[in-house]
Amino acid sequence: MIRNIGLALLMVVVTCLLLAVGYATSEGVNRSAGTPEGAVRSLYDHVRGRDWRGAMRYVAAASNTDERTFAKDVGGSDGSLRTFSTLQDIRTTVLHENDNDAMVRANTHWSSAVGSLYDTRDLHVIRENGDWKVIWPADKSPTAPPQVMAVNFLRWDIIHRAAGDDWASQDVAAPNARIMNMNALQHDLGNGLQGVMIVGEIENQDTVPAFVSVGATLIGKNGETLGEESSFDKISHTLLPKEVSPFRIDFPGVKLSDVKKVTMQPNALLVPASADPVIAVLHQRIETDARGHKLLKGELVNQSGETVNIPHVIATYYDDSGKPIWVSDGYVDHALEPQIPVPFAVDVRDDVGPNPKFRVTVNQYSIDRQGA
Amino acid sequence: MSAAGGTSRNRYGLAAALTALAMLMAHAAAAQQLRVPDHVVANAGATLTTSGDGSATFYLVGPGTALKREVKLGEAIELSGADLRNAGRYSAILKAGGNAQAASLLVAPAQPAAINFMARPSRVPVAAHDAISGVAFVFDDYKNLVTSPAQVTFNLAVGDAAPITRKVEAREGIAWTRLDSARKAGAAQFVASIGDTNVRRVVQQVASDPCGLRFHTAPAKNGVTVETDPVKDCSGNPVPDGTIVTFVETDGRTRSTVDARIKRGIAQAELPAVPGALITVASGVATGNEVRLGGGK
Amino acid sequence: MKFKLRLMIVVGALLSLGFFGMAAAQDDQPAKGAVGGLVSGAGGAVSGAPRVTLDVSSTAPRQVEDTTERAIVRDYGRAWHDMADALAQNRADLLPASFVGIAQQKLADRIAAQQKSGLETRIVDHGHNVQAIFYSPEGSAMELHDTAQLEIQVLDGSSVVNTQTVTARYTALMTVAEDRWKVRVLQETQ
Repeated sequence: MIRNIGLALLMVVVTCLLLAVGYATSEGVNRSAGTPEGAVRSLYDHVRGRDWRGAMRYVAAASNTDERTFAKDVGGSDGSLRTFSTLQDIRTTVLHENDNDAMVRANTHWSSAVGSLYDTRDLHVIRENGDWKVIWPADKSPTAPPQVMAVNFLRWDIIHRAAGDDWASQDVAAPNARIMNMNALQHDLGNGLQGVMIVGEIENQDTVPAFVSVGATLIGKNGETLGEESSFDKISHTLLPKEVSPFRIDFPGVKLSDVKKVTMQPNALLVPASADPVIAVLHQRIETDARGHKLLKGELVNQSGETVNIPHVIATYYDDSGKPIWVSDGYVDHALEPQIPVPFAVDVRDDVGPNPKFRVTVNQYSIDRQGA
Repeated sequence: MSAAGGTSRNRYGLAAALTALAMLMAHAAAAQQLRVPDHVVANAGATLTTSGDGSATFYLVGPGTALKREVKLGEAIELSGADLRNAGRYSAILKAGGNAQAASLLVAPAQPAAINFMARPSRVPVAAHDAISGVAFVFDDYKNLVTSPAQVTFNLAVGDAAPITRKVEAREGIAWTRLDSARKAGAAQFVASIGDTNVRRVVQQVASDPCGLRFHTAPAKNGVTVETDPVKDCSGNPVPDGTIVTFVETDGRTRSTVDARIKRGIAQAELPAVPGALITVASGVATGNEVRLGGGK
Repeated sequence: MKFKLRLMIVVGALLSLGFFGMAAAQDDQPAKGAVGGLVSGAGGAVSGAPRVTLDVSSTAPRQVEDTTERAIVRDYGRAWHDMADALAQNRADLLPASFVGIAQQKLADRIAAQQKSGLETRIVDHGHNVQAIFYSPEGSAMELHDTAQLEIQVLDGSSVVNTQTVTARYTALMTVAEDRWKVRVLQETQ
């Protein structure tokens, strides 16, 4: 009997402890951060769970930012790539620290549908009421002012031949797209792998939009197929009339000296498309960052009336004779609101020369675009 | 000897019986005659004549059909239009007892009544030589290819311009032609006709590459507006809306680009107003004028 | 007299035997050996396809490309193989692989009629001499003239009703389908 009562009491105590632990790990308790690094880590732990309220407990009052602004800055908005991303990993480095403030570098790794995204922030951490808290600068990026923009979508629709039509009746012809130039190179493919890459440009020479893809087959010295690949994300697939897109096709592990012939297979399909949005690429320049790496930087400006959710920047580099020698790309994790410049930066290979010629094009993905 | 004579008589008897049987069967075979007409046209039907006595099984096997029918020898076999609707060779077989007689019946296509018209391409640049092709496949009402000669007329017309007409004799069921595209853009009506039958296709004749591309600048709230004159090809046709026109501004340090779309005949974009910057314009292989901001053109 | 009688007997006997022999040949089992080589070739249409020789020397208005020439030989042969199988087994489902449109419809109609009448057609295909006379400017249609050596048997149930060995002339129109050329018109001509 006594043993039974003891067991019941023990179970009650354990239950209370578990409840307390659960409460403490939820939003119920504001864990204090004992170190600047701990404060940054705790903040990002809540960001990982998209718990903005929890994260705000580690944001210093001196930041003068509110939860909504913080959530927009860290979690993204307007259907941007950041809104579809998940924080995977955080690495912190204390740059300097004293009794009352510190500088912590936070390198974050986000996963998204288009691959990994990396972000680096140097965060000022201060002691506030005995706890370390992060000064999160208020997001000062402008928003589009209230206005009325006239939007006249230009759009193509396709009427294909009907099932009941006689067999000789023509369907609408596929667009005429042509590879303007191409170059096969031996390269480090940017992911640590050596291999052959085919870079080039394809133009829609027709008067209708085209969905293009480019395939390439490497043929060896004995006629054997060394590899067969197609362009995937280093190309703008939808091309308007007279639009030119770069493409890059990677063949990891293949040596250029083993390749006798390259067979290209451009493919173009007729697709419904919209002529909008128009995205200007302004102030393009190559800069060298603090680590000595070259970056192609600039600003994107959406000159249309609707938000572009996910901009995709593709840069083509040329040698002195105008042959393409490299294609790199990058996604911008901020949406493009009308007329609001958004900066971008794309890595530049160190071996493309001191002042390479380049061309930047912008691909875009928009959610629920009318006419798209 | 008598035995031998008896054997010999038996032999003669057997041979005589066999001969009689053979003659009887030969007679029966001769009695079971099937005659088919020399010339039959699709869907016209035909009458086949038989001779002989008794009943037989009649088979007709040919394109699109296979029938089996009990018939009386000596009576005509009527084949309806539906039985002989498809052109080609039919095997008519009459079987009585163990004996079968076969005849071939060749059915010719009827008069031309339908065209399958293949016009290519669906889009073509203006003023292109031999760029449009038309192929007419001539059929009768029963989907038989009419292989006898027949005259097909091709007619290509854009708007109010005088149409181009070609008369071509179809051979082995096919007539074809090649035509130049007109200098004027628009939806060309391409018609193939034979007798009262005509089939219409549309060939979109589209403007060629831009020609004499020019643009001008104007101050704007956030920079400078660049706008082309109406973009036309060398024949004066407006280049289709949606065509990309690229403006490039270089100021020595940075470069700004806009892939503008032609809308309502012109392309327009905004670029930063950088004094001394050079702005150029291009569309496909065509390049246009240059403008230096704050300087001469 | 005796000689004449003997002669009549011999001729009569030979006629009888010949007649019976012919009838026996007709009423016996179908020429399975010859037919089986084609019709029972279930392992892939190309392997059992008949011999096809194609002459493109007088094709107009477009010249036939080498790859197209090879494709036509392959696909036209396959079409005859598929047609022979379909008519022998009364299976219209074998047609769409090689036939389309009018040709497919007419063959399907024939198969339906054969099924209704309890008939089958077996084709022993001894090869095709084909001449391409028209190849459309954009390369999607080709007209062929085919001289085919065929042995055609009509069967009622299991018994052969008729066997014909013919040299037949066909006009065929082939058009590009999904991944191959298909026969759109197949019409025997004089």
